[in-house]
Amino acid sequence: MTSIDIQQLTKEYGTRRAVDRLTFRVGPGRVTGFLGPNGAGKSTTLRLVLGLARPSSGTALIGGRPYAAHPRPLHVAGALLDPRAAHGARTARDHLLALAVSNGIAVRRVDEVLELAGVATVADRRIRTFSLGMRQRLGIAAALLGDPDVVVLDEPSNGLDPEGIAWIRELVRDLARAGRTVLVSSHLMNETAAFADHLVVLGRGRLLADTPMREFLDAHSTRRVRVRTADPDRLHAALARAGHTVARSGDGHCTVDGADAAEVGAVAAAAGVPVLELRDERASLEEAYLALTADETEFAATPLQEA
Amino acid sequence: MFAAPVLHSEWIKIRSLRGSLGSLVAVFAVTVTVTVLVRAAAGHTATDKGDDPLFGAFYALTFGQVAALAFGATAFSCEFRDGALCVSLAAVPGRTRFYVAKTAVVGVGALATGLVTTFVTFLAGQAFIGSDALGLGEPGALRACVGGGVYLALMALLAAGLTAVLRSAVAVLSILVPFLLIVSFVVGDVAGTAADLMPDRAGQQVLHQHPSGALGPWSGLAVTAAWTAAALLAGWWAVRRRDA
Repeated sequence: MTSIDIQQLTKEYGTRRAVDRLTFRVGPGRVTGFLGPNGAGKSTTLRLVLGLARPSSGTALIGGRPYAAHPRPLHVAGALLDPRAAHGARTARDHLLALAVSNGIAVRRVDEVLELAGVATVADRRIRTFSLGMRQRLGIAAALLGDPDVVVLDEPSNGLDPEGIAWIRELVRDLARAGRTVLVSSHLMNETAAFADHLVVLGRGRLLADTPMREFLDAHSTRRVRVRTADPDRLHAALARAGHTVARSGDGHCTVDGADAAEVGAVAAAAGVPVLELRDERASLEEAYLALTADETEFAATPLQEA
Repeated sequence: MFAAPVLHSEWIKIRSLRGSLGSLVAVFAVTVTVTVLVRAAAGHTATDKGDDPLFGAFYALTFGQVAALAFGATAFSCEFRDGALCVSLAAVPGRTRFYVAKTAVVGVGALATGLVTTFVTFLAGQAFIGSDALGLGEPGALRACVGGGVYLALMALLAAGLTAVLRSAVAVLSILVPFLLIVSFVVGDVAGTAADLMPDRAGQQVLHQHPSGALGPWSGLAVTAAWTAAALLAGWWAVRRRDA
């Protein structure tokens, strides 16, 4: 199957390095979430992969060769970069038809992808009458036009309603299940957590992480256990003896940092303390991501100072 | 070897935009309408005694060429809005192939429209004149009809090339229209040879029965072609070199 291989990829605009010696591989059969703060270089990287901008150095290959070297590239990779890019005065069908014809794609495929993306009923309307969500769907229809092995989507859930977001989630999973290489950039953590199997994280143009989602969460979140007991004082004493720090909250719960449920359960059992509730608390992707990118955010707000 | 699909795709892009297709139709409609109206109103007197009667027959081409410029400019400028070029180049990553295909469709479209326009204009205009009418057999008439069509195509391509450099139809038209309609018109009769080398004045030599000045009908058209070639080369360079 086809993968995306990025080697020492660098793009400079004047003295600013938008993309700085990136090296990673996006493999088939899984959804790779592409994360990073605004200005981290995600879109620039995608443009370099698709040959729309020239790298200052390094290479970006799809299926072992530059995107532009494929004779009918829409069959190899399909991309949604900017939903506004379709000309407002054209109809959705004409927009797709011009793309299809240029790559020798059968005209009936245009109707198939219009149907697939849920915009078949507005196919003959001018694109300027479309909402942002409809334009996103049209952009996704264009990306799937050539039935490509590689699908690249830049912020696909922008402007979509909840139903559309759920549709995207199922779509990218289905594409990956069918063995395709799927790269989806986003800044919405909950969204990405819902579909990504693997994560590539950028910060200021550099690679911060390239790991499976599960490992990413484990690596960038502290272990923590939430426990509720009928006898908090005895449990606290027992945990303190075992070397754990305990934070107590008002309603009889307490949380133990740096431990997991097995350890806390064993301590409680040894001390003979009845446990009413015991569970591992895992950091969300958002927390893990923020912990990783705290120093890499280019445009961060400073908290308002109290006078 | 993949030329035909890309040409077809570029034609779909043009015919699916009202602005582009509309200006192409306007080349014909404006030129023929102005000719017919002027002839119907003024008849024979529309051509001054001293002027070249053949050139007088193509008087309305001054207006038609503005539509040709608009066609060339809008056909390219639609690629420079909101990242449309990214979509186009993702489908056809070969920049030269993309540029040549688009230019060819603009050129062929303008040439076909231009030829129909000049022949219809000539024949329709002469129909109002009566006994003094010129026929296609008149010396220079056929040459003027063919050359006029080529001239319109060159004007469309001139605008197309410049739009590829400047990335805006508005910028290109606000340079070219005043330049061709006003500067050349005002300066034209005053200054001698320099003004004769302007793209419009040089090219319009082909419309005269008896061209005066340094340039003949075909050499004048060749000067216009040189202007157009320069604009197209600059546009090619810009499309190849710049990031989308």
